Amino acid sequence: MKATQPTPEQAAGFLARDQDASIVMVNLLKFKDKATYAGGTPEHGQGLSGAEAYMRYSVEVTKILADIGAKPLFGGTLPRFMIGAGDWDMVALVRYPSRAAMIGMTQSPAYQAIHYHRDAGLDHQHLIEVTELFAAS
Amino acid sequence: MPAFQPTAAQFRAFRDDPHDGPVAQVNLLKFRVKAAYKPSDPEHGRDEPGGAAYQRYADAFAMAAAEAGGRCLLMGATERYFIGQGDWDAVMVMHFPNRQAFIATVNHPSYEDMHRHREAGLLAQDLITTRPSIPETQP
Repeated sequence: MKATQPTPEQAAGFLARDQDASIVMVNLLKFKDKATYAGGTPEHGQGLSGAEAYMRYSVEVTKILADIGAKPLFGGTLPRFMIGAGDWDMVALVRYPSRAAMIGMTQSPAYQAIHYHRDAGLDHQHLIEVTELFAAS
Repeated sequence: MPAFQPTAAQFRAFRDDPHDGPVAQVNLLKFRVKAAYKPSDPEHGRDEPGGAAYQRYADAFAMAAAEAGGRCLLMGATERYFIGQGDWDAVMVMHFPNRQAFIATVNHPSYEDMHRHREAGLLAQDLITTRPSIPETQP
């Protein structure tokens, strides 16, 4: 099943955990072929690809991440499966200073204002919360 | 279908890709519940999770990779899927200056010795080769 948002159960499970410890979120991303900007958005009808729309989201969200003390650890493009099989377009890792910081970001006006690029570009994703056993930085 | 090794075609595609810049290897890992060392392995009979055996492999692999300029960016244990559904136990991302450095690592003299830990601990994985794209993470 393709998802772009947590289920209510996933959201509740996420919120129930320790709010203060840092977390790393692993994004496995699949973009739409063509962006689906809603009528009334500046980008509507410009013929952008889903990847281009998501990159606009990525540029804007990276600024917001800096504001809340979160850090993009890694972004990987042009994925090729060397073992196994799948169909992702990009992999991205982000460390958040806390669960509360991530939740607060998604509810902030600044984030809400740029979220339409994600809606326009993202077909579906996996978002995996991991505990760091080792990180280079 | 769960996979454990590259197919011959997958290995050739990696080796023969003309791109010669940095690559990042994204490992999505599923461990055995219990490590399954062979009777001939010194660790045979230990009662430990597959993840513990794999960590020995990951540590030895990172040391071999370092000789070729490779390094581990992240080893993380799955807490939960926040969006979507899946079954991976861990995510490991390794950065290499180029694909030849990865091939040199799996051809390292120590690889044959370390590989028993991978076989004992790992049930299946995806290995996704990517081009690292966030400037701050470039070495």
